[in-house]
Amino acid sequence: MADGGALVSAASASARIRSFSFHGDAAAALRDIRISFLPGTLTAVLGGSGSGKSTLGKLLAGWLRPGHSGVMRGSLALGAERLDFDGGSGDPRINPAVWSARVGYVPQDAAAIISTVRSNVAEELAFGLENRGVPRPEMIRQVARVAEQTGLSGLTERDPAELSGGELRRLAVACAVIAGPEVLVLDEPMASLDAAGASGLRNLVAGLLDAGTAVVVLSQRADVLARSAGRWIILDGGTAVADGSPADLQEGAALRDAGVVQEGGAAGMPGTLPAPPALPAVLELRGIGFGYGAGTPRGGAGPGPAGDPARAAVLRDLDLTLRAGEIVAITGPNGAGKSTLLRHANGLLRPQTGDVVVAGTNIAGVPAGRIAARVGVLFQQPRDQLFERTVLREVSFGLRRLAGAGAGDRAQEALAAVGLAGAAQAHPAELPSSQQRLLALATVLARRPAVIALDEPTVGLDRPGLERLQHAVTGAAARGAGVVMVTHDLAYARANAHRVLALDGGNLREL
Amino acid sequence: MSLHPLTALTAACCAAVVTTAAASWQLSVAVALAAALLAARAGVAARVLAAAGVILAPLFLSLLVLHGLFFLEGHTVLAQWGPARVTAEGLGFALELGTRTAACVLLLLLFSFTVSVPDLVTALAARRIPPQLSFVLASTLILVPAMAGRLEKIRQAQEARGLVVGRGPLSRLAAARLQAVPLVLGLVEDAGLRAQALDARGFGLPGPRTSYRQLQDPPAQRIFRAAALLLAAAAVVLRLMTAWPTAVPS
Repeated sequence: MADGGALVSAASASARIRSFSFHGDAAAALRDIRISFLPGTLTAVLGGSGSGKSTLGKLLAGWLRPGHSGVMRGSLALGAERLDFDGGSGDPRINPAVWSARVGYVPQDAAAIISTVRSNVAEELAFGLENRGVPRPEMIRQVARVAEQTGLSGLTERDPAELSGGELRRLAVACAVIAGPEVLVLDEPMASLDAAGASGLRNLVAGLLDAGTAVVVLSQRADVLARSAGRWIILDGGTAVADGSPADLQEGAALRDAGVVQEGGAAGMPGTLPAPPALPAVLELRGIGFGYGAGTPRGGAGPGPAGDPARAAVLRDLDLTLRAGEIVAITGPNGAGKSTLLRHANGLLRPQTGDVVVAGTNIAGVPAGRIAARVGVLFQQPRDQLFERTVLREVSFGLRRLAGAGAGDRAQEALAAVGLAGAAQAHPAELPSSQQRLLALATVLARRPAVIALDEPTVGLDRPGLERLQHAVTGAAARGAGVVMVTHDLAYARANAHRVLALDGGNLREL
Repeated sequence: MSLHPLTALTAACCAAVVTTAAASWQLSVAVALAAALLAARAGVAARVLAAAGVILAPLFLSLLVLHGLFFLEGHTVLAQWGPARVTAEGLGFALELGTRTAACVLLLLLFSFTVSVPDLVTALAARRIPPQLSFVLASTLILVPAMAGRLEKIRQAQEARGLVVGRGPLSRLAAARLQAVPLVLGLVEDAGLRAQALDARGFGLPGPRTSYRQLQDPPAQRIFRAAALLLAAAAVVLRLMTAWPTAVPS
């Protein structure tokens, strides 16, 4: 590994982690990792679900602190300052407020960084400066500068709770950048961004690199941002298994074995699927019209301000027919109404005009809980779908009423299908995000619904996860279920669906 | 109407103090009605009344049982079943306590549903209240909407897996029982990550802070606040000086 003395002294930051384990865990979460970051360089830390990427990122940025969050042996260095840890009580203490001003971290869930007590984007940006006692005229200058740098200039008066996924990600980056860190760690920054959001983020990273910031991207996809990095570090099982240039590593076994997704169809089957036999329709949307207005809470957006002006129609006279055994993919940019469309399938949202027909029955007036016997929906955010204390309880919820004595077997079978049979007693919140999505998928599969509606199922899945998803989807279609999935990943949609439709202007058209 | 958050807070607290000191059910009812009216004007009547119902219903029930049935000082017996006696005095006392509490609860709910939390945090910071304290206060105020949002998500997740929530109170109660544990666990889990994020943004730093947001505090509102505080203090003093009413149980 290129980690000589000269390099260390020029580096913005470096870490030598002999081991790090969380309090109460016997096994080390990280071991034998040596990394350093030079100013103005982009490093990608790649690895599958549970490989330790987020733990490493949080440790570098002071979100996890040696001694406080776990036991660390090794050293962390920032510029000329070096802290040595041997796991004893004499170890140095990290002040997270001081440390994070030099190493910024943007978590996977960008919303987590928002203070929630500020009313607009400019004030949210200023929050970190206020806490450091920066004089107001200086704050106003810095807020304007960082808003410009991160493409938020037009949004400074907006309520942070009302931003789109891409805008929220840029705000989270801006909140970390405003403290002027030498190193910035981005955890899965591209997940769930559409093409416009992704290119906005790439420009933002390019600007930070030009300004001399060392940027570290943690990702389970070798995506376009990761491919532009100067250096890759591949993590597997909490340790660095390979370290080098993307050119050297992208064809190697380490990347594949670590479960990293190679963008460009490694997980999809080649070509398009053969057309399914023409079976009867299991889901029909007829002339659906829907818009969010006063009194209609928007799913997932949190409580909006009272007296929200009525919004424009999201869906207009929309028709869709899904047949048994058919896999249909719907694509479109963020905010096009894809999730809104899916929520009509199981009655979580009701159309303002038009009808939803499930297996020949109009579901108007039928409670969502009864429609659930025939329609299963995978939510966009797995955490919104999971609420139980253990993985097994999660899959078993409501299953007995549906399957009677066979509920236990069905739960085990669904967990096995997504590779979580060994984690039955784990707490859903403690699973890596990839496995949370698979668990949410298992809760849908266990019910064996006639219609399966998947909202961005590929987001956050590593390579084994994508394979399990694909297996589950084709398996369900083969036993006669209709599958409709919403995704912004057009390549995945083309490789894994019989038909691909675009949601555009509130309507569907064939692609 | 742009009320400084401290003006709104002072008005709500002083009205509550005066109502409590006056101990007159007629005044309490009038204040409660006024609060409900103001809530309607601010467009938050439904939320204020719903929250007040959740808080007050069990209280009214216990007042009725405790004082309506077992008021020891009661003389005018209206009905009697064994040790339980319904007395006019007991009912009167329950009415007085109930309306007084209702007035105070409505006033404070009106304040918390109409105040701009960012304004309040700014106002408190400007008065050198420790930021941790004002953050706790602000978080408490946004807790109710945050809980409502999370409950909605949990309900949707459960409905998507076959939970049928009927219209009847029993069905709703059964659903609420299923949602309570996930709600609390979810909030606790959120708090952990948010604490790390706040730390990273310098929230735990000691030393002086500055404020980006600026608030208007017109002199008229300062005078109003001073007058309201004086009025409340006067009401308390007056209350202490006049004889204690005979019917206060110790």
